[in-house]
Amino acid sequence: MAGRLLCNTNLLAKALQNLRIGSHITQNAVNSSRLLLENQLPCISATRHTSFFNKLPATDLWKGVTSVSNAGKKRGRGKGVGKKMSKDLNRGQVIGVGKSNILWPGLNAPIIRGRELVHQQKLPEDSERQQKLIKLRDSMGNFRVLKINPIDRGWSGSKMPGRSIGAPDPVGDEVFEGFDTRVLELKTVFIMKGNLGRRRRFSCLSVTGNGKGLAGFALVKSPEVRGALRKSKNRAGQKLMHIELCDGHTIFHDFYTQFGKTKIFVSKKPKGHGLVCHRAIMTICKVVGIKDLHAKIEGSTNLQHIVKAFFLGLLQQKTHKQLAEEKSLHVVEFRKENDNFPTIVASPTQCRKQDEIRSDEVMDFTQYVLGNRIVLKRKKFPPFYTKHRSYEIYLKKQERIRNNDKVRLDMMVNYGEVRSFLTDKYPECSETKNKPAEAQE
Amino acid sequence: MSFGSNLRMFANKASLCCNVNKVTLELFSRCSTVAFLQYDKDPGPSFSNPDVQKLLKSMTRVQLEKVYKKRSVSDNTVEYKFMTSEQLEKQFRKAAERAEKLIQMPPIVKVKEDSQKVISRDPALTNFSNTKFVIADITYGVNSSDRKILVRQTDGTLEYAPLSIRKRINQIYFPHPGRKIRLPRMFEPEHLNRCLANFQYEFILDRACVQFDPYEKEYHEITTKVYNHINESKRFDDLRSTRHFGPMAFYFAWHQIIDDLLYDMIKQDYLKNGAELVALYYQLNGIDYDKSIHEKLETLVQPQSTIQSVLKPKASDDMHEEIKNAIGKSAEDFTADDISFEFIETFVKTKALKKVQLELALQALRETNDEKKKLYHGLKKAHGIS
Repeated sequence: MAGRLLCNTNLLAKALQNLRIGSHITQNAVNSSRLLLENQLPCISATRHTSFFNKLPATDLWKGVTSVSNAGKKRGRGKGVGKKMSKDLNRGQVIGVGKSNILWPGLNAPIIRGRELVHQQKLPEDSERQQKLIKLRDSMGNFRVLKINPIDRGWSGSKMPGRSIGAPDPVGDEVFEGFDTRVLELKTVFIMKGNLGRRRRFSCLSVTGNGKGLAGFALVKSPEVRGALRKSKNRAGQKLMHIELCDGHTIFHDFYTQFGKTKIFVSKKPKGHGLVCHRAIMTICKVVGIKDLHAKIEGSTNLQHIVKAFFLGLLQQKTHKQLAEEKSLHVVEFRKENDNFPTIVASPTQCRKQDEIRSDEVMDFTQYVLGNRIVLKRKKFPPFYTKHRSYEIYLKKQERIRNNDKVRLDMMVNYGEVRSFLTDKYPECSETKNKPAEAQE
Repeated sequence: MSFGSNLRMFANKASLCCNVNKVTLELFSRCSTVAFLQYDKDPGPSFSNPDVQKLLKSMTRVQLEKVYKKRSVSDNTVEYKFMTSEQLEKQFRKAAERAEKLIQMPPIVKVKEDSQKVISRDPALTNFSNTKFVIADITYGVNSSDRKILVRQTDGTLEYAPLSIRKRINQIYFPHPGRKIRLPRMFEPEHLNRCLANFQYEFILDRACVQFDPYEKEYHEITTKVYNHINESKRFDDLRSTRHFGPMAFYFAWHQIIDDLLYDMIKQDYLKNGAELVALYYQLNGIDYDKSIHEKLETLVQPQSTIQSVLKPKASDDMHEEIKNAIGKSAEDFTADDISFEFIETFVKTKALKKVQLELALQALRETNDEKKKLYHGLKKAHGIS
């Protein structure tokens, strides 16, 4: 059957050669129920033998997949180019030489050797060929992800923002001891020059501090990335500001601060709360030495504006003593952990009497330090699923097992296993996982 | 069924009920093997005697900072307020009042014994069921101690429930916050000893107050064990300014083992408290003494009001005050000390068990006191105050 088919296709191919039409006859088309000598119509489809791949030379093709044009680069194409993502597997391979070591006269061997005609012949396999190829490919170099210790990593991947670049360089004999600088922003910026045209530079915003209230930040541009980092680090060291810390871990009071369209509401938090804020604010806090704080940004989240607004807010804080003097009233602290026992944190030189206080005066501490603002706290709505019928069913089912966890814990404490009053009578019914090994046997 | 619609039948499944009882009984029996000093007669009336209460309170030496010391809470937010001096003083007064409540001493009363009180015997009901029936009146508003809880035994006897069952049923229907139905494992001897080894006296005593009623035998066992441990470790300062100091002093005075506590008081220069402790000792053991000493001491030493201790001392022009602040004692204090010295010395000579130690301590304190006195008079002279 197969032989007949071959014969058929050969004949057809010959007949249609001039028309450049390829023919395919699928085996499925031939049904066993049909007569063997029945005429079979070939399926004909047109093919073109010119394509992108056989019009261009290999070098051009290779360049096309491994690089990106200048115009394309400007549009942001080919971000991965230059990372050695691709390997030329063709290197080290010669036409006529393959896995099976075969002698092809005229291709990889002369046709006539001496006075003898060389015949096509299979030679013993060359075991080293494959290894040589692999060695060659390995030597071409691999794409390696830049490995950074997780502790040293910044906000995102191998990007600079959030990463530490060390203390500012010493100025003369003055050493920046205990300082750490963190990059907040590193980006390319362009300017137009009359003679040079579009000039590219790197802009770096970094913040430096000693974790004890001394900190500064600087924005610097340089044609080199390294230069930008170094310059901004050193300039930040020249612009230090002192920020007083409350109890060494947080800010003195809630405050509101604004720079441009960026508005920040910052609130003081007790020990152990941590930093709950934008990553830039978090980085600044770590560098300054603030450990507990909550900040909410409203409006624009332009990074430079955030940094400026936050620093302004920190600097505009008032200490408890200042507040007491301003108000001519005692500032009293009530801590829940001390059962709300009043503690005087600051007293004025001259305290006012009750009748000296105006009726419309802002007496609420938080409202006063926020500049008469009241933070809008959105109402918390119940989650959507509480309206579903399935939630009601879930609640009904939970009702039965609502205290199971407590009972289980209690039993584990008192009996060392989960048991019931029937366990003595039917020991085989108790939970096996909590039973000792000999009981299972 | 005479308790109306609120009546609840409480049919325990026999095995579980018995198990619980067995476990708790075992624990209690283990507890009770530890020797502890019992009260031979009811200490309740003596403890609640106003004179005794006054002495105990004075000995406690209330310090608001310690009463309101830092505790772990779920919400540790800090609040700030602007206040005038008057408002501030009001707040402090309130805090002091609250402290008074917080350091109210847990009473020491006689251990209550179980007694069987049968209501009726109905032999006709014998073997009606193979479990006991507990019948509890859970009407709203009835005091836990007055609540009617009865047991119908399997032999048909109807009787008042024993204390252990009463406590369990009360805890089931009217849970006391923090109290467990079973004895917390902390009170098992091995764990309790570990707590004691870590000197967590206040924690143990606080939890015992929650878990037990003052008339329970286990309460007495645990508290006395703690007091004895403190007496051995001499860490009396751990309980000072807490509500447990008074009961501890009462226990020591009742059982005539005040020597270590007295030694500690002398060493810390709390002579007035020492005299009070001796007076308490005399009073509890029915020994006559000169009661005028209390009046004398009171007129000389003003009971330091808790508010004053908190409010910052104002810079006064009074030289007396300044000298007092520099030395820590005023002329009245010195005379009060002399009276206390005498009173304690007579006790040490006649009744004390550790005479030598106490005498030496008294001697040492007297010497330092004399030096201070000299300095005081010298300073007075230098400032030209007679």
